[in-house]
Amino acid sequence: MASVELAGLTKRYGALAVVDRVGLRIEHGQLVCLLGPSGCGKTTTLRLIAGFIEPSEGEVRVGDRLVSSAGWAMEPQKRNMSMIFQSYALWPHMTVAGNVAYGLELRRLDRETIRRKVQAMLATTRMDAYADRYPADLSGGQQQRVALARALVVEPETLLLDEPLSNLDTNLREEMRFEVRRLHDEYRYTTVYVTHDQAEAMTTADQIVVMNAGRIEQAGPPEEIYYRPRSEFVAQFIGGTNILRGKGLDGRHLSFAGRALRCSGADVPAGGTIAVSIRHHDIRLLAAPPPGAENVLEARIARQVFLGSVRDYLVEVADGTQLRVVAPAEHSIESGSPVWLHLPPERCRALAG
Amino acid sequence: MTTIAAPLPRGRPRGIDLSRPVMLGLAAVLCVLIVLPVSQLAWHAVVDRDGAPTLENFRRLWSDPAFVEPMLTTLTLATSVSVACCVVAAPIGWLVARTDLPFTGVVRALVMASFVTPPFLGAVAWEILAAPNSGLLNQWYRSLTGAGTDEYLVNVYSMGGLIFVIACYTFPYVFVLVSNALDRIPSDLEDASAILGGRTWRTAARITIPLALPALLAGGLVAFLQAMILFGSPAILALPAGFHTMTTKIWSLFQYPPKPGLAAAAALPLLLITIVLLRGQQWLMGRRGYTVVGGRSGRPRPTALGLLRWPALGLCLAVLACSVFLPYGALVKTAFSRVPSQPVSFDNLTLQHVRFVLFEFSGTRLALQNTFLLGVLSATLGTGLALVVAYLSGRRAVPGHRTLAFLATAPVSIPGIVLGVGLFLSYTRPPFVLYGTLWILLIAYITIELPAAYQQLQSALKAVHPELEEASRILGATRLQALGHVTAPLLRSGVIAAWCFVFIGTMRELSAAIMLFTADTKVISVVIFDLNESGDLGAISVLGIAMLLITFAVVLLVNRIPGLGGWRPARPGG
Repeated sequence: MASVELAGLTKRYGALAVVDRVGLRIEHGQLVCLLGPSGCGKTTTLRLIAGFIEPSEGEVRVGDRLVSSAGWAMEPQKRNMSMIFQSYALWPHMTVAGNVAYGLELRRLDRETIRRKVQAMLATTRMDAYADRYPADLSGGQQQRVALARALVVEPETLLLDEPLSNLDTNLREEMRFEVRRLHDEYRYTTVYVTHDQAEAMTTADQIVVMNAGRIEQAGPPEEIYYRPRSEFVAQFIGGTNILRGKGLDGRHLSFAGRALRCSGADVPAGGTIAVSIRHHDIRLLAAPPPGAENVLEARIARQVFLGSVRDYLVEVADGTQLRVVAPAEHSIESGSPVWLHLPPERCRALAG
Repeated sequence: MTTIAAPLPRGRPRGIDLSRPVMLGLAAVLCVLIVLPVSQLAWHAVVDRDGAPTLENFRRLWSDPAFVEPMLTTLTLATSVSVACCVVAAPIGWLVARTDLPFTGVVRALVMASFVTPPFLGAVAWEILAAPNSGLLNQWYRSLTGAGTDEYLVNVYSMGGLIFVIACYTFPYVFVLVSNALDRIPSDLEDASAILGGRTWRTAARITIPLALPALLAGGLVAFLQAMILFGSPAILALPAGFHTMTTKIWSLFQYPPKPGLAAAAALPLLLITIVLLRGQQWLMGRRGYTVVGGRSGRPRPTALGLLRWPALGLCLAVLACSVFLPYGALVKTAFSRVPSQPVSFDNLTLQHVRFVLFEFSGTRLALQNTFLLGVLSATLGTGLALVVAYLSGRRAVPGHRTLAFLATAPVSIPGIVLGVGLFLSYTRPPFVLYGTLWILLIAYITIELPAAYQQLQSALKAVHPELEEASRILGATRLQALGHVTAPLLRSGVIAAWCFVFIGTMRELSAAIMLFTADTKVISVVIFDLNESGDLGAISVLGIAMLLITFAVVLLVNRIPGLGGWRPARPGG
């Protein structure tokens, strides 16, 4: 088992850099999620790690071994990795047991060992009752488990997952997130997990790497990514947010909608335009102006939607900017009513760049 | 879980990646198959007997009436066939795909039957039916009307007869393209017209027909092409009528004394026109504006014909009578009749033709052997070659895969007779002397059938998700191991289909074989052609029927062999 290290990893198709100078170190036994919208280069990064394509520049190291460098890639079969594919890629002409045994057969283990390991792995993934079925007879979730079993039974140094849950329906997806994490905790392989679903990343990952346009926007533990986004892209992509733009007044304040707002996060340079992020549920709606509170704006309700557990408001402030506010469902405020917004300073994150 | 936790041996599976040598070897094979004959053709067209450059061949081609006339004839023929095919196939295609015509399955099957009928066999059958004196139709006409013995209703030995017979076996090309296009037009588009107030016929005229028009035009081009490059039918029908087409003219240049340089020069225009027409067809079919966009939608809603259903069915059956019922009836009758022109009766029934063909005529057994051997070998080698090329290009596995794919599809634009000339020129002199052996026929067949096999396998391969192979690779298999363990078993049914395709194509090939056979290397199609020259229609009928039976038997057998056709690929649901 080993760490995986990417250094200056770049993949160009023609002039387009699909993966652009990605540098990342994944410690042994960690589960790292590459998270980003489609086309951000996350799957290409994964395939570079797997060795299906060779980088244009940069290196991939596993442990101390160099496995990919510019224009060269050690063949995938020599990397001692496993991968779970978006389509699962179960071989339709082999039974469940046959699929799982395949990697062990390639390793020339004796028949008895193979049988024992396959059985144990199927038991772990709760698929032992289906050993003799063909993949076409299985449901999506069962296919997913077989794919997991097939990848794990060979005890790889590194496990790669390419959007493994995106073909499942919502309920199953939530269940399988925990399953992936449980199996990871059981075996502790170094795992790279590609997804575009932030909830999936939050549930499973030790570290989240947010990618955009081939580059890493921010990497860190889930809480840090959520609470302290460094860029507008990360703030928008993880959890959704309001972006307020205004002129910086001094190190801590900006001018927005005719008021001075105090904020945290990056320094606010005086005179420059600055973006501040505040999440939908961090804004408090008040029916009357609170006496003497800072960071309070006057606004009007543009529309409201009842979502069951919460109400989703769209409000408009004095300069015409519209903000989304999520508030408890109990109190309804009619469209057109005046309200006051309280934006707690510690929740207003000034963004770099 | 202790068993899992036990460390696995770290030794990785062995295996060498052979992709580069395989690629180079294949490129070499494809070059020999395709580039060599075509370049020989071009070379011999522009040099004289001593190897000095000359344009004399082309000058003769464009000035000598003996060549200009066949060229004009060929153009007239191809244009007429193309128009006739469109006129016949478009309504039938529409009736089958878009209306509530009864028995559409039967109509489709019969169109396919005319599709697989070797055109030269059809031509012979129409000789039996419509030769001016002995033709069955003319005899019936005379006996019904009491006309004189030198009068006739139809004469197949004429330009009109030739156009008619070729159209009978070419219209299925147009039918397939048109009915496929109509099948693919979503019914939503028609419904959208209907909801805006368009009546049935108006919707058909404004929406359905315009959308199918590119397919019809493309079909017209293909029909033109088929009529232009066909050798058997004009050789059987035009030569007795005293005129030549380009293909028969090229063939006659190889009769004594052979003029290969002139033949090469005459073959080049056919090659160029074919390439241009195929480009045009691709352009028509591939234009974005006419590709029907949008997601899935319901089954096409058939247009109700009302009482017109039965006349419409009659129309279809009348067309199919010309291409299937009458010719096959004539062949069967002739095969078992003492005197073909006499009506069917017990006295007239005989097995003498069967006996003659199978036991007395010395050429048959050899030709059957040759044909069978060549069919099996071409099908096996051709499918194998096409499989590897389809894999390498489909998976972009090696640098230069585009070139491989191009080479594998290139023979589609080389007419059989042109390839025959090219191969003749390539393999009659050292270093490669293959003329007079079965090898040269094998090369011809593999080359001719390669594009069809390649396309079949390419689309089969598209259905096998690349991740299925990658899953095998990441678990430790080399490329070739992944191919053997995963891809090959999944492609099995596609491979069998391609094999049958090549086998059938080989059985019925005439135009290249006619240039390349010698006394020891005759095949069935050549024997039929020979027998036609000697006027032995009974023997031809027996051979033709035998040929069709062998084809069916082999295809059936291949699909029944346990382990070959037994397993059906199942797709895992998402």
